[in-house]
Amino acid sequence: MKKDIFIILAIILFGATLYTLTLRGAPGNPTASEFKDNLDMPTYAFELSSERGRYVHVVSLAQRGTFDITEEWALVAYPDVGVHNDKYYSFFAPGVSYFTLPFYLLGSKFGLGQVATFAAESIVSIITLVFIYLIGRRIFKLPLWAAVFAVLVYGFGSTSWSYAITLYQNAFTACFIVTALYAAWCFGESRARFAWLYAVYVWLAYALAITVDYPNALLMLPVMVYLAYLTFLFKKTEGEGIAISVRWAGVVTALAFVIVTGFHFAHNVYYYGGWSKLAGTLESYRPYTTATTTPIMGTTDTLTSASAISTLPSVLLGTTSLVLATTTATTTGTTTATTTPMKEKTVSGFFHEQNIPNGFSILMFSDERGLLFFTPIFLLSFLGIWYALRRKGGDRAVYVVLLCLMALNLFLYSSWGDPWGGWAYGPRYLIPSMPWLALFVGVALAWGGAAFSKKIIALALFLYSSGIALIGALTTNAIPPKSEAMFLPINTYNFLKNVPFLQEGKSGSFVYNTYVSAHFSLLEYFLIIYGVLALIAVLVLFVSLFSRHE
Amino acid sequence: MNNTLIIAEKYFAWLPRFFKLVTPERWVIVIAVTLAVLSTAYSFTHGYIIAYGDAESHLNIAKRVIDSLTPGFAQLGGIWLPLPHLFLVPLVYFDWLWKTGLAGSVVSGIAFVVSAVFLYRLTFVLTKDGRAAFIAAIAFVLNPNILYLQSTPMTEMTLIVFFILSSYFFIRFLLDDTDLLMLILAAFFGFCASLSRYDGWGLVLVEAGVLVLYYLPYRIRDGWSQVLHGMRGFFAARSDKPFGERFGLLEGRLILFSTLAFFGILLWFLWDWLILGDPLYFTHSQFSAASQQQGWLARGELPAYHNIGVALLYYFVTSLESMGILLALAALAGVYVFLGDKTKKYQILILLVLFVPFLFNVATLFLGQSVIFLPGLTPPTFEWTLFNVRYGTMMVPFFAIFTAYLFYRSRTLGRTLVTGVVALQAILFVVGFSPVLAFKDGMSGLSSAIAKMPDAQAWIAREYDYGMVLTDDFARTISIVRTPMKMKDVIYIGNKPYWAESLVEPEKYARWIIMQKNDVIWRNLIDKPELNARLFKYFNKVYTSEDILIFRRIDVYPAN
Repeated sequence: MKKDIFIILAIILFGATLYTLTLRGAPGNPTASEFKDNLDMPTYAFELSSERGRYVHVVSLAQRGTFDITEEWALVAYPDVGVHNDKYYSFFAPGVSYFTLPFYLLGSKFGLGQVATFAAESIVSIITLVFIYLIGRRIFKLPLWAAVFAVLVYGFGSTSWSYAITLYQNAFTACFIVTALYAAWCFGESRARFAWLYAVYVWLAYALAITVDYPNALLMLPVMVYLAYLTFLFKKTEGEGIAISVRWAGVVTALAFVIVTGFHFAHNVYYYGGWSKLAGTLESYRPYTTATTTPIMGTTDTLTSASAISTLPSVLLGTTSLVLATTTATTTGTTTATTTPMKEKTVSGFFHEQNIPNGFSILMFSDERGLLFFTPIFLLSFLGIWYALRRKGGDRAVYVVLLCLMALNLFLYSSWGDPWGGWAYGPRYLIPSMPWLALFVGVALAWGGAAFSKKIIALALFLYSSGIALIGALTTNAIPPKSEAMFLPINTYNFLKNVPFLQEGKSGSFVYNTYVSAHFSLLEYFLIIYGVLALIAVLVLFVSLFSRHE
Repeated sequence: MNNTLIIAEKYFAWLPRFFKLVTPERWVIVIAVTLAVLSTAYSFTHGYIIAYGDAESHLNIAKRVIDSLTPGFAQLGGIWLPLPHLFLVPLVYFDWLWKTGLAGSVVSGIAFVVSAVFLYRLTFVLTKDGRAAFIAAIAFVLNPNILYLQSTPMTEMTLIVFFILSSYFFIRFLLDDTDLLMLILAAFFGFCASLSRYDGWGLVLVEAGVLVLYYLPYRIRDGWSQVLHGMRGFFAARSDKPFGERFGLLEGRLILFSTLAFFGILLWFLWDWLILGDPLYFTHSQFSAASQQQGWLARGELPAYHNIGVALLYYFVTSLESMGILLALAALAGVYVFLGDKTKKYQILILLVLFVPFLFNVATLFLGQSVIFLPGLTPPTFEWTLFNVRYGTMMVPFFAIFTAYLFYRSRTLGRTLVTGVVALQAILFVVGFSPVLAFKDGMSGLSSAIAKMPDAQAWIAREYDYGMVLTDDFARTISIVRTPMKMKDVIYIGNKPYWAESLVEPEKYARWIIMQKNDVIWRNLIDKPELNARLFKYFNKVYTSEDILIFRRIDVYPAN
């Protein structure tokens, strides 16, 4: 146990160090006028509208005490902006903005409002890392080194890194799912007096996860089914009937969900005009202008400075954008705000089985966003899953839940109309599955034979995957899908687009830009971090310090 | 705090009693009949029965056999196989059943119910588990693609029923090769399948091939992976007899099977030779599927042609979506479990028989004999992105059986999950997440007639009074069943000598001429100046659109 505490502290320290070194941002509390053609450019903190769309609400909450944003800030978040009752809102679920508000308030006192806001994501990701370790150790019963390697894989060997240092919902989603699963497992294991607190947390995490991204209502269902499985025990008794044993703590604590979701609904009523009205279904806002074509940097989205055609508006549900209409983007000069009535948007309308073949291939194999293309270390996860399913004993119910989580995640976002996640780095929609894939990498290495060979392969794959992850984290997430990249001067649509930024020293890293750039080139900075990471991976995999006494 | 509730048996004792009111097989019949009636009523009230262009053509072919200008069996033609049309013949005698398409609904509906029952039996043969067999039948009858097709005159249900029947008896023979009646019945239904759709030819060919494998005397060594267990178990089991004895068995049974099973194919060659003068008329006439695919090929829109990867992908995805992706994935897991099941024999051979629709459709896509356009796979730059997706429904029985097999091999949790997946898939179809491809193609795909109904259709339906109508039926300019015309009033290419004479002397029989740009009538009467003059001498052009012209005879025009 003492060893575990030491390791957890090391994970926190290591995670905090690497995330801090790559955290996106710049000093200051940016105002609305600082965004256009400045902070919204590639490699800058607000290069995509996902960050802008959430940040504008943080600022509004901090400065005006209300969630709706002014028209000036609406232009910052554009094109993912909707209107209701002449008030403006981004299309994103509100949770992330509320969660990061305290960080903004704290940071803004030191002139670091933006950096502090983004740091909230890193803290959430570090929590995820700790719980990956705990799940590896306690549920999977992995040896220490394998659990630590799983942490490394998720945190720094996957593209989740790029989303742990900026303002997206993905890190929050992963954190809620991981911690909820762990809490549910603890609820099942514990008969202590306060075991009900675990169930409270599971319900809370479910409700809060929905506030950060609406599809989490579906994505977290396997965890909730697992909680139900632990709450209700069915047993057929001979001659009597069916005995249902109920742990009432698992039921009564649903009150936590009801309360939080009640607040969520109240928010929807107050701001969007109906308890079931979601941000992404608001009427789209479009500013009009004539004048020259000045590109709007899309986000998840679609617009870029050099694009021959621009597509707007994009509709975001949660974090996701979908192109609904095509027009030419023109801004500058005086801007007249207007709204354009559009077809009624529905949540379910964006998910469709016929998208699955394309979505599946984009998310898994493509050179645009493919999981195995960006993060081939996860190839070992399949071996781990195979081992887990064949292993007698162990907590099979948990393995089934994890498989369902991953399958649901893949199924859901393969059927989504925009599996690319707009302009994004890697398969960001699969980030909620990455903790489990990382754990199964640990399983693959720790169980079965040929341990040394597998470790060699794992190291090679990790070096590739972490290199890709780091280059994305240090430069930009603004990678267009292939279909849009074709219209750009640089016809690249994966991490090859990041390489020139690395060579030219264009980084989004707050630490690099503020403190290090005068001393090291970005490439050197990259190599230092990468070298440390590689060294740690070698130590974890091959040095007996970690595996001794196991 | 824990509480234990006991739900006493007496509270749910009615449940087993209720289900035991009739046997599971009869439950299948009750459910299948109910669903068939409901879905047909739905299609009927919404006008979907003859949504497919082919649906009307099937009805018309049958109608012409008994009630046309030149009735007779020659009206069956030489492209589409005759059995589905022969089933329609007694029903289309009644004009109402012909014009509403209900004649086809009756045939397909019966095929649907029989399919469900024998799918139940087939699964029961494989599992000896009534609940699993019931799951197979339910997965089949709840499939909305199947439900829609069973309400139409399309020939898919006719093939599916004979496919299931032949497979059922063939698999029973494999499990007990002393029961020759099973082999004869398998051959008989194979014969029926081979006269229903060309997929049936694939079935009897594979069944004959399986017979050869079944009696081949060789052994595969132990040590293969569990996946290949079925193959190992099968061959090891069959290697206990000397070569001569086994060859003798093979020879006799292959001849017994083939004589009947391949007789349908032979008949078809003979028919095409006698009626059309070319035994291979169905493969290379201008009306054949292969000829039609040449048009797509010329436009570069035949993606699977000579590309096995694309052919596999197209049919795999089409069949997956026809079943519903969740159930299809469950079924694939069931296949894996089936192959690894050490308690079973002949898994590979059984799988091969049930897998025929996949093999056949991939082969025809690869050879350019058929084409499928499927949204998500077909490039949006193609003129059409939805066509022939109903071919995927041929795999629904396969998926249903192996979903049930997964259920059979699962414990309580697994069974609950499989049942949940069946229910969830039904919900996904209902909420529109999973597309009902066969229905969608009928509504808006290239297969649809109703999506492309021209204005001329409404005009002729309103204005037609009496008299013969010259029209190129192959061009499907108008829908005959949607007009007041009788079939004996229609002159089409199959009416000798009326058709040929009318192309030279259009006034000889016809009071009405309906033509579409570039169809045979247009090319004869519009493009040829001498005939064009004759046309206008005897006919008034009474309807003009960009593509369709309608003429009415001058001299018989009512005087008032």
